[in-house]
Amino acid sequence: MEYRIENNAGDLRVIFSGDITFTQNVSFRNMLKDISSQSANSCVFDLNGVGMVDSAGLGMFLIAKEQADTGGWKLHLAGATGHVASMLKLTKLSEIIEAS
Amino acid sequence: MDSAHSVTEGNLLKTILGANILVVDDMQLMRKMIGMCLERAGYSNISFAEDGDDALKMISEGMPDLVILDLNMPRMSGYEVCKALRANRETENLPILVQSASETPEERVEVFASGATDFVSKPINQPELLARVQMHLENRFMIQNLSDFHDHMQRELSLAKEMQHALLPQDSLIEEVEQKAGMVIEAEYQASFELGGDLWGLWPIDDTSFGMFVLDISGHGVGASLNTFRVQATMGRHKHLYHDPAAFLLNLNSDLVESFPLGQFGTMFYAVIDTESGAITYAGAGAPRPFIISDDNVRTLDSAGTPIGIIASATYENLTDQLNEGESLFCYSDVLIETPFSNGEMLGENGLRDLVSSKRSEGVGEKLVEKLLATFFEEIQTSLPDDLTAVAFHRTKKVAGS
Repeated sequence: MEYRIENNAGDLRVIFSGDITFTQNVSFRNMLKDISSQSANSCVFDLNGVGMVDSAGLGMFLIAKEQADTGGWKLHLAGATGHVASMLKLTKLSEIIEAS
Repeated sequence: MDSAHSVTEGNLLKTILGANILVVDDMQLMRKMIGMCLERAGYSNISFAEDGDDALKMISEGMPDLVILDLNMPRMSGYEVCKALRANRETENLPILVQSASETPEERVEVFASGATDFVSKPINQPELLARVQMHLENRFMIQNLSDFHDHMQRELSLAKEMQHALLPQDSLIEEVEQKAGMVIEAEYQASFELGGDLWGLWPIDDTSFGMFVLDISGHGVGASLNTFRVQATMGRHKHLYHDPAAFLLNLNSDLVESFPLGQFGTMFYAVIDTESGAITYAGAGAPRPFIISDDNVRTLDSAGTPIGIIASATYENLTDQLNEGESLFCYSDVLIETPFSNGEMLGENGLRDLVSSKRSEGVGEKLVEKLLATFFEEIQTSLPDDLTAVAFHRTKKVAGS
């Protein structure tokens, strides 16, 4: 997993690429620290470049959602295709985290 | 844990000073000089050998922690002692500190080639000798400590693994359900680490129905496995709901939401199967979509749903389907569709469906899981990256007149 954060006056966009799985636990948490240090209003996780997310990856999205609720910013998942889109649909995560 | 080996930094020095050091030298003066040097530094357990033969004999009688070895000795040289010690499994890692007067570059190479751990020159520089002795003893005890810890953890994990395997349906239960239901049940469970986050199970509900579930806790390893115990215990509290999948998942979820750590959850599929009619009532909590496999097609069951343990407000819905005679219900964990094959591509649900179809048309019958996994393990490049569960319920065709 790699990511790049774009900050447009507090509206963040995190552009991911690669897989988001169990082994990315540490880098994902670092990314969350990055986000909280940027006093965000909102944040979009752009998943267009992500080929695969496993259950641990979905768990990290839930942690991000919790951090968003605590920190008072909005989290939005966008651009999921293929396997990632099916995983979000299968686990109905869009009912918990806003997704498009 | 074994207290004798729980060497912490504080008592490491004490352990080192009590170490058994064998000094091997044919010259009495040298043995005396090295012995005194070590004693003055606080070492209390020093023994002496006069030549190579003597040294090997003493080592076979009691294993030292370090050998300080002279090279040029009558009968058996230091080189030969090194080689003999390295050739023996019990002494292959014993630290050997060689001391020698002649010191050409070629000789140094030969010393290390014959198995010495380190080298000090004669005449002996006492502070250097002590520094090297201390370093090698520290290494030895720290490695010993790590190795003991590793063995200890391995034993603990093996025990935990047995406990986890005991959660899986036992053969007698599987046979009982097979006979009552007129089915053949094929199941495979493998943890990617010693312990896993997958679980499956089944239970008879009444004379004509049984319930079955597959569960996959997010992540894997020890943490995920502890959650399987938690879910297993909680399921047992809802026996009165075994006949109603949606209500069962709803209650299981509300019990588990509080205790599941943030970011952890379980995807699940629970079905009740009527053994007379083949009617299936099921509810999903985000498990991979099970297949119903017949001779001419493979269809998926809708197992979408909020995984258990995330939010209290999750709801679940009962859906129905039909498992006809000659058809198979196949449930599996996501590792089957998410592991890259040798071509770099993961199978995905469509790929797995195609593979299942082709196995079926090869006529594998009630060996579907076995044949499918044989192909899977041939194809994956790595060791299993996540826990694997694959369970198939083959509803056998009734023979006319029986």
